[in-house]
Amino acid sequence: MAFNVLIVDDSSSMRAIVRKIIKASGFNIGELLEAADGKEAIKVLMDEWVDLVLTDINMPKMNGLELISEMKKDEMLKSIPVVMVTTEGSEKRIQESMELGASGYIKKPFLPEDIKRTLSAIMGEDEDGQRDYDEDDGGSDF
Amino acid sequence: MDRETMMKTMGEATSNVLDTMFYQPVQIRDTNCSLQKWFSRKQLLVGATLSFHGPSAGSFYLLLPATMVTGITSNFLGIEEEEINEEQKKDTVKESLNMIGGHMLSLFDKEGAFKLDIPEFIEESDLTEDKLGDLKGDVIFIETEENRLAVGIQIETGNWKFDT
Repeated sequence: MAFNVLIVDDSSSMRAIVRKIIKASGFNIGELLEAADGKEAIKVLMDEWVDLVLTDINMPKMNGLELISEMKKDEMLKSIPVVMVTTEGSEKRIQESMELGASGYIKKPFLPEDIKRTLSAIMGEDEDGQRDYDEDDGGSDF
Repeated sequence: MDRETMMKTMGEATSNVLDTMFYQPVQIRDTNCSLQKWFSRKQLLVGATLSFHGPSAGSFYLLLPATMVTGITSNFLGIEEEEINEEQKKDTVKESLNMIGGHMLSLFDKEGAFKLDIPEFIEESDLTEDKLGDLKGDVIFIETEENRLAVGIQIETGNWKFDT
């Protein structure tokens, strides 16, 4: 079953790069959705089925940490894994993100392998689309 | 942090970002020249500025030739130069500085005391030779194979002291 991924970043260039890496990753990706800030991301999440969110932290209107907090308040959204993709690399920020419920953290600048490795860990697939975990363990219902 | 360490950290961050995301190996030049002397008079420059606040407040800035931007945008996005639009170029310049500033802070700010604002693009018209003199602070001078860039930091308030 294909995964739908939501990319959240106020930089259109960064969204384009992450999109390109994910497309070329070899994983079983369905739709690649985008949002320019946390508020827009919430709208997308309410309208579309999303299996994974990759989000920047520093964005206008609603930042990435606020986005996670909002998602965790919602019964439908709280189980969606969220990975931070950000320049903010302090231990404190990483800890803050994890305490809010982030599933992973990628620091910019990053290599394509950093994104792929995180996708593999979160989605439980290798690049050939083979699952290596029991679907009953949790995650999206598909 | 002393000035020398700060400049070294800024150089390291700049080099990491340009090499990793833009495939631009760089050399940091040890020079005390002015921005006007560093860049050729005929070159049109563009740039970005990025404010930060925390124990100290100030801003980073990045300056580079307008002619360089298409090439680095092409490398960054992985698309042909003919496909690139103005918005993508501006966004690339802003995101470059966002990564340089963020990476630099992450190299020493383990506590996350500093916060970055949203980067802003600087137009050619604001970077004429006479206006370059308005940019203060400490600068690192960078060379790629074909171009020259500069990254600067201006501290406006706070207790981030360094020897001058």
